[in-house]
Amino acid sequence: MSTVSMAVDLGGIKMRNPLNTASGTFGNGWQFEGFYDVGATLGAITCKGLAAEPWAGNPAPRLAELRGAAIMNSVGLQNPGVRGFVETYGEYLQGLRDKGCQVICQVAGHSVEEYVRATELYEELAPFASGFEINISCPNIAKGGAAMGATPEGAAEVMRAVRDRTERPILVKMAPHDVAEIGRALESAGADALSLINTIPGMTIDVHTRKSRLSRPTAGVSGPAIHAIAVRMVWECAQAVAIPLCGIGGVATGEDAAEMILAGATAVSIGTANMVDPSCAPRILAELEDWAESQGVNDINELIGAFEC
Amino acid sequence: MDLSTTSLHDFTVVTNECVADGIWRMRLSSTVAPLIEPGQFVNIAVPGDGSHILRIPLSFKRADAEAGTLELLYATVGEGTRRLSAMREGDKSTLVGPCGNGWRLPQEPGRALLVAGGIGLPPILAAARMLASERVGFDVVIGARTYAMHVLPDAEEVLGYGQADGAEYDPDRRVILTTDDGTTASGELGRKAYATDGMSDLMAERAYSQVYTCGPTIMMASVAHMAAEHGIACQASLERMMGCGFGACSCCNVELVRGGYALCCQDGPVFDATEVVW
Repeated sequence: MSTVSMAVDLGGIKMRNPLNTASGTFGNGWQFEGFYDVGATLGAITCKGLAAEPWAGNPAPRLAELRGAAIMNSVGLQNPGVRGFVETYGEYLQGLRDKGCQVICQVAGHSVEEYVRATELYEELAPFASGFEINISCPNIAKGGAAMGATPEGAAEVMRAVRDRTERPILVKMAPHDVAEIGRALESAGADALSLINTIPGMTIDVHTRKSRLSRPTAGVSGPAIHAIAVRMVWECAQAVAIPLCGIGGVATGEDAAEMILAGATAVSIGTANMVDPSCAPRILAELEDWAESQGVNDINELIGAFEC
Repeated sequence: MDLSTTSLHDFTVVTNECVADGIWRMRLSSTVAPLIEPGQFVNIAVPGDGSHILRIPLSFKRADAEAGTLELLYATVGEGTRRLSAMREGDKSTLVGPCGNGWRLPQEPGRALLVAGGIGLPPILAAARMLASERVGFDVVIGARTYAMHVLPDAEEVLGYGQADGAEYDPDRRVILTTDDGTTASGELGRKAYATDGMSDLMAERAYSQVYTCGPTIMMASVAHMAAEHGIACQASLERMMGCGFGACSCCNVELVRGGYALCCQDGPVFDATEVVW
């Protein structure tokens, strides 16, 4: 057992440790119960993005593997809508809360109105939600998603509209560009914390057919290959805002998580690694605790942003 | 809501050998063996190349609960399966399993027809063993591009499934091998035929109440169509590019007739063929 206090506060979401999961890579938690006790292990989980109404998601193929420790996905936020989600998983997710694991519910939409509607539905139906993550950075949907978060003005407009609808903490999932400028706009608009980065838009072409290997021309790159880019963006954003950050991007080891924390992240999400090694979270947590202890601190918070340049 | 029972298991390679042109058979020892049902699959980590991170989803031919072994057949089609073929006796890695939902026994009494194409063979062999254990009569069609790609010992073995005790059970079982290019055992050029041609032949001779199929999508689409035309129930085991293998990433979608998508790994890989958009 670690002697270092691992508890962190992600914009009002009190986590027993900094480990969170990246939305879309962790189902809604229950899929991992055969691998470890989710509620007893993680600081928080972030559920799959949900809209007010169900979305079918993109056609197949949605996944390609790249050389160089990366994958590309084009899922397009397939989801059963907030109501279907709460009916199916609400009891399980309340159980996670009861075990001390926070449950962050992700909000998706094609327009400001749709983000607002989904948030209102969560407010009405999801008492287990510890807070919300507004996804304005999905690269795989035609309307909304990344388009909403492409500019500081667009991002802030969504944030302000949702802010009026809930007292619970709001995180915003950011696209991998202009994170300092957009981060400042989101902070001013009332965000409690920021999650970054979403997948990086990329292309993969089957040269024999001259077509995309996925159902859309571009899709999101994730995995260990993007880790260094994510750490840099967390560092840039941390210097621009005062609100806490959740670092996401290619985290597969305790050392990767430690880099995020040193760069300025309060919490760290595991994404693609959940698909590759579904039992990785307890190992990453143990490695992170060992590292914190090796740094001679009593509290992990002393290491947030402790990068020395 | 039932919690997932899919988990991480260690495995050790017992044997790994080339059994036909580009087709390998691996027997591995793993704690997953007593837990897995015919038609389910495992998602295997192949060591040796950190630049490729995804596991390889593979169906199995036979699970021996007592011996604690799982027997796989796989084709070396990409970089991952080539590395898998380089694993030797005693090599260790991990697998995720049991994954997905397997074959169901026939709802109606009567004979079953099993149609395998290419590397769709292993789950069809698992289905044959399941049917034999329930003493359901069945026939099998196995298609390959060319004769050298037929896994002959495994195809011949099917005739003996359920017959070991000498009791009178399914004595007229047929196993038909077809080749796309007409190559035959004798080396003479024979009939160019797809597995669906073998299926037509058998359906003209015998009555079936259930079809089981696994193979290339184009083949399964034809099998599903033929089964539907004859009013016969059909289960199809689908293949998709997969991420997690247990419903966490939503990458392996299967388009449904009723609209929307199912996940191949979580809702399948075995589907009622009438529910799938072919």
